Amino acid sequence: MQNQGLNRRQFLQMAGVGSAAVMLAACVPAQPAAAPAADGEGAAPAKETVVLRVQGDPANETPLLEPFRQVHPDIDLEFIAVTGIDHEEIASKILSMIAAGEQIDFGYSATEALQLYAGQGLAYALDEFIQRDEAEVAEYFADVHPSLIEAMMYEGSVYELPFDFNAANMYYNTQLFAEAGVDHPADNWSKDDFLEVARKIAKKDDSGQTTVFGYAWTNRLWGSWMPWIFVNGGNLFTEEKAPGGEWLWSTFYADDAAAAGRGGGYRWVTPTANSPAVVEALDLVVTLTSEGTAPAIEMGGGQTLQGFFADNKLAMTPAGGFWAGGLANAGFANGSFDVQLFPSWKSQRHQFGTGGQWISAQGQHKEEAWTYSKFRISQEGMKLWYGANGIITTPSRRSMLVAEAFAETGPAHWQVFYDTLDKHPDTAPIPAPPISNPMTTLFTSYTGRAMTGELSPQQAMDELQKELEDLVARSQDIMYPQG
Amino acid sequence: MQRAVTTRKRTSLAGWLTEPTLAGMRRRKALLGYLFVLPTILGILVFTAGPVLVSFGLSLYKWNVFRPPTFVGLENYTRLVSDTRVLVSFANSARFVILAIGLQIVFSLLLALALRQRMATWMRYYFRTTFLLPFLLSGAATGVVLSYLLHQEFGVVNYYLGLLGIPRIPWLTSSDVVLYTVVLAYLWQFVGFSLITMLGGLSNISSEVLDAAEVDGASGWNWLWQIVLPMLSPTLLFSAVIGVIGGLQIFDQPYVMTRGGPGDASRTAVMTLYEAAFKNQEIGYASSIAVILFVVILAITAFQFAMSKRWVFYQ
Repeated sequence: MQNQGLNRRQFLQMAGVGSAAVMLAACVPAQPAAAPAADGEGAAPAKETVVLRVQGDPANETPLLEPFRQVHPDIDLEFIAVTGIDHEEIASKILSMIAAGEQIDFGYSATEALQLYAGQGLAYALDEFIQRDEAEVAEYFADVHPSLIEAMMYEGSVYELPFDFNAANMYYNTQLFAEAGVDHPADNWSKDDFLEVARKIAKKDDSGQTTVFGYAWTNRLWGSWMPWIFVNGGNLFTEEKAPGGEWLWSTFYADDAAAAGRGGGYRWVTPTANSPAVVEALDLVVTLTSEGTAPAIEMGGGQTLQGFFADNKLAMTPAGGFWAGGLANAGFANGSFDVQLFPSWKSQRHQFGTGGQWISAQGQHKEEAWTYSKFRISQEGMKLWYGANGIITTPSRRSMLVAEAFAETGPAHWQVFYDTLDKHPDTAPIPAPPISNPMTTLFTSYTGRAMTGELSPQQAMDELQKELEDLVARSQDIMYPQG
Repeated sequence: MQRAVTTRKRTSLAGWLTEPTLAGMRRRKALLGYLFVLPTILGILVFTAGPVLVSFGLSLYKWNVFRPPTFVGLENYTRLVSDTRVLVSFANSARFVILAIGLQIVFSLLLALALRQRMATWMRYYFRTTFLLPFLLSGAATGVVLSYLLHQEFGVVNYYLGLLGIPRIPWLTSSDVVLYTVVLAYLWQFVGFSLITMLGGLSNISSEVLDAAEVDGASGWNWLWQIVLPMLSPTLLFSAVIGVIGGLQIFDQPYVMTRGGPGDASRTAVMTLYEAAFKNQEIGYASSIAVILFVVILAITAFQFAMSKRWVFYQ
């Protein structure tokens, strides 16, 4: 007799369907518990507290929270700390979090990630808020250099209000300078002056190994050897200005000569990595390492160099205002370091990065996020923040860069930080198009290959150029609008 | 009529299961077995087979998560075979596996044989614990510490080498050296795991066999080559298979120590996958790298098992 019952295959089918049904049932959200009865039917509903999810360091933000809550008791902040070795790594993590569906109402980003977020439609343009609250924020714009604002614009709109910035100036170890009989360099010192000082200070032992380095830098996009590219008149990409932004310049910077010619943000369009200026700049730093004036480079944000500097094994390094706070926190005494503008070459055009808070385009509480961001960049907010945290980065407000801010930590020539913008208004942000993350990977990779001698500077930049061209070609969907 | 009978029987599952016959008993037994393996099957389907299939599907698309995916066919694969960075990273992974896993097996075997010698019990426990401890640490944490220890200019390792008159070694800053540094770091951390496996394997070798070999005069190299290694071959196969799979997926320690540099000298296959997916938001391209890596691991593992018939002996 033929067995007409369920065979194993049929049973497995049934079991599969049954299991799926059980799992689906488990996924159905439970009914919310019944709300507790109100004290009285006529009681007015209390105003709901809005909890903003903020990407940021809660320890740094704490000084602002209580004063903010006093004015806005209906807004609470929940911080999500995201760490990384550099800005592009933090941006990668944030993008992954958003992609995974994690809600972030607003966060902090530096130049490296601004166009990355804005280009993907993740960041919200602040134009309407700024225009609406013009009277309230006019004082802020009057205090902030227009180049910082322009760096935070994308395709005609403002996406962040700069809270801090860091231009790559030249820090030096005063003890090593004094021992070598070198004075504070002149404002317009040249690349050759720099080389003379670096080589004079560098020391080698009997075996030919360097014991004191004249110069050092780390392999990244900001700082790195990018300042040499800028002062040599080069860049990784052609620099263009997006249209738009006239309303902003005419409203807030009508009488500021430094605002003349500014547009709607930067466009870094065509790679120029193998231009003579860039190759020459790379050749300079390769030479410094190969002759032992500079150490082998490594990746990172420069913490290792602080150890070098503190041990009097390093004379000079490119860094911004953040280094003053970092050195002070590391116990470096006031007066043991100082800062000067980056040396001139074909020009003295500096590179900088700036940072601020971006508001999520997908966030449900943009108004509340703007309220906090506005408080953070207000005089009160910035004084609270920098007062509690110290000058661990350069405030975007000119009025905050005063002698008393650096009285305890140094450097003596703290004026250099804002002079970089005021005396060199052509100073510009590092190239950070919407493809800045893969671009940075390519840049640091080929930098490494040139610095280890695997490729000559020309070969390295030729290959980087080709890879950047390929990257731009396949990323047209997130690059700038055509036409 | 036959159709009607079938329908009636199939709709009565309870009756089919509780039928007081030998067939019914077999069904109930089979049901119990299926219920036991069901969670595992579901786990494999949801967490292994599912992602593999989804990865393969995604590899045919251009997708950055934030915009709708675009079907591009095999474009990601054609790009992959001409992407020198990806090819270099696969080559680095292969070099790493050959060096690291080969040395890991050799060192752990030698250590296990050494620990098998007569010694005080506390010393045996001390050595076992000492070798295993690094395995318990996080790869990222050890990567951070090692990168400081191995710093060319002021790292502790170069400092002591300098006292011996040895010039500073560019552990992490030379393209020629960095992969060996990564191998050393891996060995330091993972040799303890293999050691425990080897010790287990050695203890499983029948004492009768070892005694008989001793009576027959086997010693030294002959004892190792003719007796121990053949008897230990299942453990060696296990170590080789697990080691190759893990080695081809190496990521955290080298990523923290070198970020793939200098240049691409220590960039591994999983590092390029990670960069494509999470730094560049090229999910389709990253999936194509993942699929190729999966196929490579599968092929090597299959090859290992196929070859094992020639040299693995089960007691």
